[in-house]
Amino acid sequence: MSFEKAITLTVNGSNLTFEAEPRKLLSDALRDDCHLTGTHVGCEHGVCGACTVLVDGRATRACLTYAVQMEGHEITTIEAVGKPGSLSVLQQALHECHGLQCGFCTPGIVMTFEAYLKENPDPSESQIREVLSGNLCRCTGYQNIVKAIALAASRMREAEHHGG
Amino acid sequence: MAAEEFRHIGKPHPRTEDARLVTGRGKYIDDIVLPNALHACFVRSPHAHARISGIDAAQALSMPGVVAVYTGEDLAKWTARHRMAPAIDGLKPMEMDTLPIHKVRFQGDPVACVIATNRYLAEDAAEAVEVDWEVLPAVTSMTRAMLPGAPLVDDALRDNLVSHQHAVHGEPAAAMAAAHRVVVSTFSQHRQTHLPIETRGCIADWDAGRGHLNFHVGTQVPHPYRTTLAARLRLPESKVTVMSPDVGGGFGQKIALYREELTVAAASIQLGQPVRWREDRMENLMASSQAREDFCRTRVGVDAAGQVLALELEITEDFGAYSFYPGNYLARVVAMIITGPYRVAHYSYDVKVVLTNKVGNAPMRAPMSVTSWVMDGTLDAVARELGLDPMAVRRINMLRPEELPYTMATGEVLDDVTPIATMEAVLAAVDYPALRQRQQHARAQGRWLGIGLCNVVESTTYGSKFYKSAGIAGSGHEAAWVRIEPSGWVNAAVGLGASGQGYETSLANAVAEGLGVAPAKVRLHLGHTDIAPYGMGSRGARGGTAGGGTLYLCAQQARDVVLKIAAHTLGLADGVKLRMVESRVQQRGGEAWADTRLALEDIAHIAYLDPTALPPGVNPGLEFHLTYDPPPMTYSNACHACVVEVDGATGAVRIERYLAAEDCGTVLSPVVVEGQQHGAIAMGLSGALFEQVDYDEASGQNLSGTLADYLVATSLEIPHIELIAMHTPNSRTPAGIKGMAEGGVMGSIGALTNAVNDALAHLGVTVNQQPLTPMYLRKLMRDAQTHTQEAPQ
Repeated sequence: MSFEKAITLTVNGSNLTFEAEPRKLLSDALRDDCHLTGTHVGCEHGVCGACTVLVDGRATRACLTYAVQMEGHEITTIEAVGKPGSLSVLQQALHECHGLQCGFCTPGIVMTFEAYLKENPDPSESQIREVLSGNLCRCTGYQNIVKAIALAASRMREAEHHGG
Repeated sequence: MAAEEFRHIGKPHPRTEDARLVTGRGKYIDDIVLPNALHACFVRSPHAHARISGIDAAQALSMPGVVAVYTGEDLAKWTARHRMAPAIDGLKPMEMDTLPIHKVRFQGDPVACVIATNRYLAEDAAEAVEVDWEVLPAVTSMTRAMLPGAPLVDDALRDNLVSHQHAVHGEPAAAMAAAHRVVVSTFSQHRQTHLPIETRGCIADWDAGRGHLNFHVGTQVPHPYRTTLAARLRLPESKVTVMSPDVGGGFGQKIALYREELTVAAASIQLGQPVRWREDRMENLMASSQAREDFCRTRVGVDAAGQVLALELEITEDFGAYSFYPGNYLARVVAMIITGPYRVAHYSYDVKVVLTNKVGNAPMRAPMSVTSWVMDGTLDAVARELGLDPMAVRRINMLRPEELPYTMATGEVLDDVTPIATMEAVLAAVDYPALRQRQQHARAQGRWLGIGLCNVVESTTYGSKFYKSAGIAGSGHEAAWVRIEPSGWVNAAVGLGASGQGYETSLANAVAEGLGVAPAKVRLHLGHTDIAPYGMGSRGARGGTAGGGTLYLCAQQARDVVLKIAAHTLGLADGVKLRMVESRVQQRGGEAWADTRLALEDIAHIAYLDPTALPPGVNPGLEFHLTYDPPPMTYSNACHACVVEVDGATGAVRIERYLAAEDCGTVLSPVVVEGQQHGAIAMGLSGALFEQVDYDEASGQNLSGTLADYLVATSLEIPHIELIAMHTPNSRTPAGIKGMAEGGVMGSIGALTNAVNDALAHLGVTVNQQPLTPMYLRKLMRDAQTHTQEAPQ
């Protein structure tokens, strides 16, 4: 007996089909069935923000979402953002500002702000802190993350300015 | 060597770890894929204290995907009990089963383990395991635990007082009797938990063919962990390999071998198949490890100027239900170093450690966290009592440079610290006199501004001699190897277990400096017991002095041999006029250094591939190993200042400014050190303001099992932190490293609470417990108001 059914997810532009129970969380499906382990699971009840991914471009907690609900949606995970040697502007800023330590919460923060900075290119420090408050970090005290996000925003604006 | 002469130590390069972590390419426990791995889920007690009358796993065993259900009786056949019985005066030996067989001692205590083909099915089956409970009365407070007739947490002991030490140094009673005033203060920390964002977890992979256990676990202490794991499994230490990959934070929670991990290892051996376990956040909050809950009382005798004549300290710690560490391990260090940067000749302490029906304690980033709050808080109380300025009371009692080295009343020797310099720097930076004026103006407008200071002397690195004198079994040494490969690239390893600090960056600087190569040429290998040498791992703040220091010395040993070979090759009698910079051998001519024709790869080529060209007495290869035992104790020091405004109507605390000056000696990586300062201060503030493990007093139920109940500070609550670097090298450690990483917790809980006290003292209230919730502060203010209104006019 099995309650498993075929689920097809569109992740980072590719379609992936696997068998899973309807109760399987998106966070577990991404990690176990799509073999994308950059999405981390920190609390499984939607508070810590470590599992944040983008669903149709919007930051979403993968631990509060069933995989089966996500058929037909575009899911973007940390693996699509940048690679060692070709970091995104935000990832580069986090590196330069020492905005991460153990790195477990970092993918969730990157995904949250990859989405946020697209719509809010010039946030104030208090706006950054407000948005960041949905991601818990036990190592850094947040200060260097805030600094990195502000730096990334200014570099992105600069690039936009020169590009446009 | 003066700090400015370093070529690599102290350079602010960003971390080499970042590229993989920031892109989601790190490898944490759950990212390791092993084919055919089974999943473990634990059946946990719903009661704080209960006898186990029976366990029925029949239904669970019939469920889909379930492979086995193991209980304490099974584990008792396959594993050895844990015995905590170091020979320490006043400490009672304690033993525990791998899983409880007869009774449980806290809500969340594991009683059975379900093994299934996936985690969902294992969790389903765990709910179907039937346990017959005989519920017993629970002991939920340390005060009641000590009352006669209190229920026994550990049936093998005659009472719940697991550890009790008392010491008198000098003549405190006589000095107290002669004092101008005796001031009594109390300090209560509440129960907290480490809360790494990555919870505990492990994978056991029994290799039946070789009879070898490969064990993946995030641990701060890979080798001591392996020693314990092998012993409890009754396996030779050569048949267990512990591998610690990227670790999502430890903070002291990932040191001990937990019962769940041992069970998973035993299950893999029984089943001949890999078994993995990942606890969920509720388990982490209710059943991993906890810390901090203690009560301190000081009596201090002072003269009219506020000079301390004698000090008495009482500590009671709530240790929880099990002894994963010796009972005296945390609280006694507080008693030994309490006087910090102050001159106290006559001193006594009494330290009691009590068992209750709560999760067992583990050292949490700054196990001695309360120390500096107690001492500076005591001096603040003296200042209030005598109507003196609290900074004047600190100054008159603080050790002057010419008094160092200073032997504390307990016999601990304090040296290479600069407390006056850090305090005066902070007071100047905040413009203390102007702050006091502003406080007066604000008060006239009904606004409660407070200024708090906390001076910290952080015991960072414990040498073996300290352990011996404190009656703690164990060693403080560390071990390293450095291997220059035939290509001239450098591999190195040390016994530390990384949990996010940035060792691969900071320790590469130590090796690069000692050897004379660029840090980018050095690769660190940590956390694998078959690769790294046997060291004592990461505890306290020993990474810099013990870990970095050992690697630095080992790299220097390698450099000496490299230069000896170079001298021989160049036809020189010895290497005294040679040095290596960025892998190039240079020769001194007069004042100037000139390049020779030799690079490190040339030397490596000779050592590995042309050994007959080596000088007499030098063996082939370039492999070096070294162990090092640091001085009995290494200290760093700091001063933390906090300016707060307390809302009189709501009791809310707003941090207006936070500043710290720290002297942690030679800094391997200023980037990493700044990150550690931020993180430690944030953890202290978060704990003092919000975090609380909450047990229902009557039932012992844990009421803080989610992150909506156990509140951790977010980016909105942690203030901007200003740092003043004032590093002076230590005279006795390699490269002058002092170490740091826990002092920020000590300083922040003290500075914050002293500031809140300073804001509210004029209302006649004393803040003597944490967390500093609005409810608590409003209650103090309400009670004081009622008291004033009721007093005769």
